[in-house]
Amino acid sequence: MLIIRLWNYFRGYVIIRIEGLTLERFINLATLNDIYLWDIDRFDYTTLEAKVSIKGFKELKKIIIKAGCRFDVISKEGLPFVLNKLKRRKMLVVGFILMIGVIFFLTSFIWNIEIVGSKDFDEGKLIEYLDKEGIKTGIKKSIVNEDELQIDILKKFDDIAYVDIDIQGTNLVVEVKKRSFYTEDDKIDKNKPCNIVANKKAVIEKVIAKNGNAVVEKGEIVEEGQVLITGIVQNDSEENILLVHSEGEVLARTYYYNTIKEPIIKQIQEETGEKYFSRELKIGNKSIHLKNGDIPFKDYLEFIDDKENGFYSVIPFNIVTHEYREVEIKTVKQNVDSLKESLNVIITKEAMEKIPEDSKVLSKEIDFETKDNFLIAKIKIELIEDIGKKEYIQNQIEKYEEE
Amino acid sequence: MSKKIDNLKNNLADALELPKEIVLDLPKITMIGNIQLYIENHKGIVEYSKERIRINSKIGIIRIIGKKMIIKNIVSEEVVITGEIINIEFM
Repeated sequence: MLIIRLWNYFRGYVIIRIEGLTLERFINLATLNDIYLWDIDRFDYTTLEAKVSIKGFKELKKIIIKAGCRFDVISKEGLPFVLNKLKRRKMLVVGFILMIGVIFFLTSFIWNIEIVGSKDFDEGKLIEYLDKEGIKTGIKKSIVNEDELQIDILKKFDDIAYVDIDIQGTNLVVEVKKRSFYTEDDKIDKNKPCNIVANKKAVIEKVIAKNGNAVVEKGEIVEEGQVLITGIVQNDSEENILLVHSEGEVLARTYYYNTIKEPIIKQIQEETGEKYFSRELKIGNKSIHLKNGDIPFKDYLEFIDDKENGFYSVIPFNIVTHEYREVEIKTVKQNVDSLKESLNVIITKEAMEKIPEDSKVLSKEIDFETKDNFLIAKIKIELIEDIGKKEYIQNQIEKYEEE
Repeated sequence: MSKKIDNLKNNLADALELPKEIVLDLPKITMIGNIQLYIENHKGIVEYSKERIRINSKIGIIRIIGKKMIIKNIVSEEVVITGEIINIEFM
């Protein structure tokens, strides 16, 4: 029945009221003339309501007269009448089409670039790279070639193990997985001859040469860049020089120093909770600062809410809200002992982050010193680490030949 | 005479298993519970009100008594009546 109703809706129909004494005759005449009537509802002896199609209605007029009845059109229903109404309201239709068009147009751009990945991943570099490749907010979606871009990113960034680019609506989501084990060594071509040189000043503790000749001994002090294991192997009996890709570990004693300063009498800024807002209207590069009088605080912090992302980066119009929070400046004298303790923790933590993971700590010394208004903490860590770094020989030979 | 022809038609319909409503031009009445009535092969409406509908057919007038009845649709061959049907009579 739904299909019939839909069909009637699309064709359009008229609800009519017939008044007369010979209604049965009218119905019979209508059926004889092949006019389809439905939902015939008799109200009383002289009136009935019925539905009839638009085409049928035109023929029905003659029959009504023939049957000696009167008719009223109660309502006109269906799509043809709706369309007729819309014909008179052209701007409504134009507006509707325009709205859909604008939505389609605006959703064909990328308004936001999101990078999902591990916390320690440097997103800035990737964003910069994407920017250089022409992938930034406000470009058309069709420009982005996802597969090609994925390959390009993998080629460009050695520390990325996996990348997935997905366009979700107007968002470009770049999912990145960082390579967990990644060292400089991975980049080096194993077939090219190379030396192992020192990457910092150190005292040699042990040299294990798996390939190539060790040229330093235990106890020797080496400078940065000094050759530790050479890939130039010369046999005593032969004159030929053999170039090899040297491999090995050079363990050496190194020192790590660091100092941090912390004032004993410290000024801290405490928010009082008072706030003051002002707005800035930006049009292109020009801006108008809308202020309601001066900032009523002596000391304050300024926070700027700048909508630079997405849609706002394309249109040259922006409203920036400045928020000023009143602060009270307090002078606090800190307890030296507790300050020492906290500095101890901070400096050790910092040091542990900087020293290589596979090194062995021999000793740790932390000294404290008070100077002027500052507490100075100095750390000295003695450790054994691998200082070897591979360097191609080719360059050196060229230099040698030039000389 | 016409009775003889009708008898012949009836026998023929029996023998050939033809639908009798076509061969004998009889109304075919179908009911769904007591809420809908479907009559094929009618010969026009004689009386129509919410409580009583009379429909002409070859075998005479069919009188339908009921409550809140309306003609759902009508074309030259068939008529559909809905509402609460109480009684159908052949007169």
